[in-house]
Amino acid sequence: MGPPKSLLKKRNKKPGWKAIGIRLERKKDASLLNWNLKRPYPPEKIHIPIPPGAGPCVQPGEVVQTGQKIAEPQGPEGVSLHTGISGTVEKVAVFQSAVGTEGRMIEIRKHGEPKTLPSWEGRKGWAEIPAEELPRIFQHSGLVTTDPQMEPVHTKLKRHAGARTIIINGCEPEPYITCEQVLILSHPMEILKGAELLKKALGAEKIFFAIENCNLEMIELLKSKIYLLKWEHVEVRVVPALYPQGLESTLLQAWFPGEEKSAVVFPSSTAFAVYEAVAQQKPFYERVVTVGGECVVEPRSLWLPIGISFHDAIHACKGVMREPQKILMGGPMAGRAQMTAGVPVMAGTNAILALPKEVAKEEREEPCIRCNVCADHCPVSLSPAMITLAAEQKEFMVAEEWNVKECIECGNCAYGCPSKRPMLELIRFARSFSRAGVVRG
Amino acid sequence: MSPHIRSLDSLARRSWGQLIALAPLFVIACFTGHAEILRILLICLVSAVAFEFLAAKLFQKKESLRNGETVLAATLFSLLVPSRCSSEIVILGVFMAVFVAKELFGGTGGYLLHPLLLARVFLQLCFPRSMSEPMLLAGEGSVWTLLGVGFGGILFLKQKRGYWETPVLFMSVCFVCEALFGGGEMPLAFFSAVLFTAFFLLADPVTLPLTRKGTSLFVLGAALFSSRLSPEGFSIHSACCAILLMNLSTPWLDVWLKPAPYQPEHPLKATYPA
Repeated sequence: MGPPKSLLKKRNKKPGWKAIGIRLERKKDASLLNWNLKRPYPPEKIHIPIPPGAGPCVQPGEVVQTGQKIAEPQGPEGVSLHTGISGTVEKVAVFQSAVGTEGRMIEIRKHGEPKTLPSWEGRKGWAEIPAEELPRIFQHSGLVTTDPQMEPVHTKLKRHAGARTIIINGCEPEPYITCEQVLILSHPMEILKGAELLKKALGAEKIFFAIENCNLEMIELLKSKIYLLKWEHVEVRVVPALYPQGLESTLLQAWFPGEEKSAVVFPSSTAFAVYEAVAQQKPFYERVVTVGGECVVEPRSLWLPIGISFHDAIHACKGVMREPQKILMGGPMAGRAQMTAGVPVMAGTNAILALPKEVAKEEREEPCIRCNVCADHCPVSLSPAMITLAAEQKEFMVAEEWNVKECIECGNCAYGCPSKRPMLELIRFARSFSRAGVVRG
Repeated sequence: MSPHIRSLDSLARRSWGQLIALAPLFVIACFTGHAEILRILLICLVSAVAFEFLAAKLFQKKESLRNGETVLAATLFSLLVPSRCSSEIVILGVFMAVFVAKELFGGTGGYLLHPLLLARVFLQLCFPRSMSEPMLLAGEGSVWTLLGVGFGGILFLKQKRGYWETPVLFMSVCFVCEALFGGGEMPLAFFSAVLFTAFFLLADPVTLPLTRKGTSLFVLGAALFSSRLSPEGFSIHSACCAILLMNLSTPWLDVWLKPAPYQPEHPLKATYPA
C-alpha cells in the first residue's frame, strides 16, 4: 500500500534541489582573527592512538625523531604511524580516547628542547610517479582521511576503484570550525596538487571543490589558481552554508545527483596531506585543528601533532578564561563531549571546543507535539518523531519500519525540536538494538 | 550527547506566539460590542487552570502551565463558544477539553482528536439550544473582525510555526466550494470564520499528520467536509466536525505517506565512530 506512483515519481532536478538543512549561527569570526597557521611549542608528552591494522615497531625507552615511523602497517589494509614530536617512547598502553572508548596508544615524552622545525626533503620528479606507486606511498606515510571515519587513504581509493569524480570538500557547516577554510586560504596550490595526485591514484577524470557560498574569498582564490594552472578538469561547486550540507553523504545527495556511485569525497586537509606525503616526503603526523569556543582566550586554527592532549591544545591558545560547561571534539552539532581534557587529538579531530554554560545548557524535556520540525529538517527524509516515539516505547520493529537505519545522525532533529527531546540519543538507542539483531530476533 | 546546542524554539514560545496572534481579535471584540467574550475568557482561563492542576494531581505529573498550552487552549475555546452561553456549559466544555479529551487521552502530544473541537462538538450535541455559532464569527459579521482575524493570521504565519499551504489550501477550497455550491452569498462573517479556522483551528500539530504532503491532504479533506458537511455550508460547527473526522485519518495518512529515505551508495555516519 502507498500513494500513487505519480506522486513519488522522481523528476530530473538540478543539483541542490534537495539541499535540506539548518542555517546555523556560524560563530567563526573569533577563530579567523588569527588565521596564519602556527605550530605550538611541543607538549611534554603525547599519546598517539594506534590505528587498526598497525603494530608498534618501537620499544619503550627508544628515542624517536619527529616524523619517525613508530608503527608498521599489518596487512594491505593497514597504515603506518608516525610521531609528531621528538622524544623517548615511554610505553605502549591502553588509554582513554576522544571517541569514548579505550584504545592502544604510544606515549612519547619530549626529549630536550627543539630548536628548529624538522625539514623534509622534497621528492624529485614527484609529478611523474606512476599511479600504481601512489597507494604504497600513502600507506607508508600514514595517510588517513581527516574526517571522522579516519579511513586509510589507500583503502578508500581501493574501495572506490573506478570512480570518475573526486570531490574535495572544503565545507565546514558547523559553527566555530575554520580549519579547512584557513588551510585552503593558506595553501591553495598544495591542495590543488594534492587533489590532482588523488585523481591520478584513482584514475578519475574530474575534480570538484565543494565550497560554501559564504566563503567568497575561498571561491575566488581557488578559481584564480585553477585558471593559473589551466586545469580544465577542476571545477569549484558552490553549495549553501547549511548544516549538514557539508557532510559527505548529504553533499553527494544534493549537489552531485547521479554521481553518488561514481564520486569519492575527501576533505581538503586530506588533499594537503597527500601533497605533503608525495611531494615533500613528509609523513602524516600533524593536522590543522580549530581550538575555539567562547571559553578559549585566543581561539584559532593551528597545526597540532596527532596525540597532543586537548588540555595542551587549549593551553596553546592561552587557555580558558572561564570554566567550560563542555569540552567537545568536533563541532557542536555532531561532536562528542569529553569527560576529561586529557584525551589526545586524533587524525579525525577537526576542532576542540570549550563551550560555556549558556551555549551548551541542558533544557527541560517535554512531550513530542508532532510539530514536523524534525521531519522538515531531516536531510535524508526520515520521520524522526515516529522513530523516537517508537524507541521510547521500545518498539524497535516500528523504528526499523520507519527506516531508522538510514539516519546519518546529523542531529538536525534534536537541534530544532521545540520539546527539547533527546532525539539523537533515542535514534542511536533504536539503531543499537536494530544492529544487535534484537528486532529480528 | 550531541547536538550540544539547541534552537530557540520551544513549546512556550509557540503557545505565547499564538496567543499574541489571537490578541487583536479580543481587542476588536471589545470595541465591536462583543465585550461579553471577556467573561467567557475569564471563566475558561480559571476553569482550565483548575482542571489542569486537578489532572496533574490525579495523574501525578507536572502541569503544563509554564509552557502556555493551557492558557492557549482556554483562550481558543472562549472564541469557539457563543458569548451568551451560561457559565456551567462553558465550564463543562473546558472540563471536556482539558480533562477528558486532552489529559485522559494521553496529555500533551498524546491525544488523537483535537480536544477543543471535541469539546465544542460535545456541547453542541448536548445543548443544541444554547450552543450556536460564536457571535464574533456569526451573523453578518464586521469588517473589523475580519481585519482582526487576518492580522492575527499574518502574525501567526510570520512566526513560521506551520506550513504556509495549510491556511492557503483551506481558504481556497472553502471559497471555491462556497462559490460553487453556496448560492453566491458570502457575508463577512463567513470570511472571518474561514480565516479563523484556517489559521487557528488547524494549528494544533499534535492532531495533524507528520508530513507536509499528509498535512496538505488533511487540510483538503477538512476544507471539503467543512463546506459540504451541512446543507447550510461552512460554519464553525461543521469545521469542527470536519477537522475531527480528518483527525481520525491522521495515523493512516502518516503511514500512507511515510517519507521515502534517501539511500546513498556508500552510507556514512556523520558523527565520530563509537
